[in-house]
Amino acid sequence: MKTREFWLLFFPSLVVMGGLLVLPLIRTVQWSFEEVRYGTPGVFVGFSNYIEAFTDERFGKAVLSTVTITIVTTFLLLVFGYLIAVGVNRMTRSRPIILGIMLVSYVLPNIVGAVAFSWLFDDNFGGIVNRFIELLSGNQVLWFTDQVPNGILIIANTVWHLVPFAMLIILAGLQGVPVELREAANIDGANPLQMHINVIIPTIRGVLGFVTLISIMDVLRLFDNLIPLSPQAQAIGNESIMLYVYSVAFSNGAQRLGLGSAVNVLTILIILVMLIPFIRSIFKEAKVVR
Amino acid sequence: MTLPKIDLSTRALITVKPSGKRRVALNRRPPRVTGALLAALCVVMLSPFVWMMMSVLKPTDVAFANPPVWAFQPSFDAFINLWETTYFSDYLINTVSVAVVSTVIALVIGIPAAYALSRFPSYVSALLLVLALIFRALPRFAVVLPMYDISRALGIYDTRFALAIALVAINQPFTIWLLRNFFAEIPRELDEAAMIDGCTRIGMLRRVMIPLMGPGILTAGIFVFLFAFQEYLTALVLTDTGSKTVPVFIATQLGQTLPLLQQAGAAAMLLTVPVFAIAFVAQKYLVAGLNDGAVKG
Repeated sequence: MKTREFWLLFFPSLVVMGGLLVLPLIRTVQWSFEEVRYGTPGVFVGFSNYIEAFTDERFGKAVLSTVTITIVTTFLLLVFGYLIAVGVNRMTRSRPIILGIMLVSYVLPNIVGAVAFSWLFDDNFGGIVNRFIELLSGNQVLWFTDQVPNGILIIANTVWHLVPFAMLIILAGLQGVPVELREAANIDGANPLQMHINVIIPTIRGVLGFVTLISIMDVLRLFDNLIPLSPQAQAIGNESIMLYVYSVAFSNGAQRLGLGSAVNVLTILIILVMLIPFIRSIFKEAKVVR
Repeated sequence: MTLPKIDLSTRALITVKPSGKRRVALNRRPPRVTGALLAALCVVMLSPFVWMMMSVLKPTDVAFANPPVWAFQPSFDAFINLWETTYFSDYLINTVSVAVVSTVIALVIGIPAAYALSRFPSYVSALLLVLALIFRALPRFAVVLPMYDISRALGIYDTRFALAIALVAINQPFTIWLLRNFFAEIPRELDEAAMIDGCTRIGMLRRVMIPLMGPGILTAGIFVFLFAFQEYLTALVLTDTGSKTVPVFIATQLGQTLPLLQQAGAAAMLLTVPVFAIAFVAQKYLVAGLNDGAVKG
């Protein structure tokens, strides 16, 4: 294909992505060095937005809680995703039904799923989970106003929402494990547990790495499901980084655009650093393939 | 012993056939325990929807009673109220039209771009994959807050078009990446044959490639539609009262009192029903798309 043809075909997408992704990003970087409000030109203030972010105790808390939730959620997604994928892989005829049911929580808007989830737990709404716990232990759990139970609730909802994705990717990985490999391990006398730990998991480690990466990136951006699940997020210390940006730079007429943009830039930098090993492997592969 | 490394090109994931599954299945009894565990899991996965459906169908005075009421006369009042006392129909029309418009635009500009990339050396595609990954991982506010500022300056804030085109841009790296993987599987010899027969590039794309790409285009279309349909954050920032979407409406109802909450639940159920249908009817495409373009969640 001639270069001219390539650009002709690529041009419309390039315009849209350049104008609506790259330019806004540049604006965010610019704003992060300015004192600025919507609709007015900003004043350059150097690194003071960044300094403010680093010294703001509230931001520190938001980072801590986001990172904690991300680590726990990612770990659970890998464990459950793997176990469910192994189970589904054994099913043949019932597989479409199981996949269909599992996909619902993933395809539905996150906020809708979180609303439904919150009603299961909320005492004010006769939440059935709480009734059950009270019957068993006699204690009332404050799912919405106590930091740790609320964190558990957020993690449970995030796992519920993302586990179908993790499961599907791992399932595809499992189907790529050569049967010869399993048979060889069988002949060598491996029991099922050894088979998983020594044979299957090392074989699909690339897939597991991919799931880990996607899950970290998704959970770091935690926002939608906190609206129904953690209405008092800031007060109880479960605010996420994105919720912090929203509340300083947008909600209820907030105008701290500079600070919000600085936090956005910092988040981008963290994500880029995490992506580096992955990006390198993609380029290495591209060179090998063709 | 060196183990065969599963590479990360997602195409490899999907094209690997479940080889020798039959042999394995023969020497194994039906997995009863696994089946029972998975059935239990399905119940857990569905429980929030079942519970919400019950809350919505209960008469308003006992909808959120504690302890919960188990025996009740189902009532559709919440749905009727939702339709009569709120602008739900408008929000639904907004949501669907934004999703349709963004799907059409994304495909019209995405198909030629994806085709061009699939016929170019692979390092260009690798670059695209990296870009798709980075833009996928981006904190949404880093793009959406400037969009808000720009849309106000241009006077297109709170229009369905602004929201649709914003969603096209946000999802376009993924759309192109997914389509490119499908195009890459069509042999290049076909291009050459069509060109020799006198087709131009564009004519060949229209007459030869697009008919062959049916399933790929369908898959990409379903995903772009779903992303637009699901989107909360972007719609929250870029819309006000004029083009509000259903997810934003549901979120604003949350701080309200009982009858309104029940209406929010009814709205949520109305979104859930078509999603159930999609999960079963279009499952093949969803699974293929997730594996083939596993860049976006």
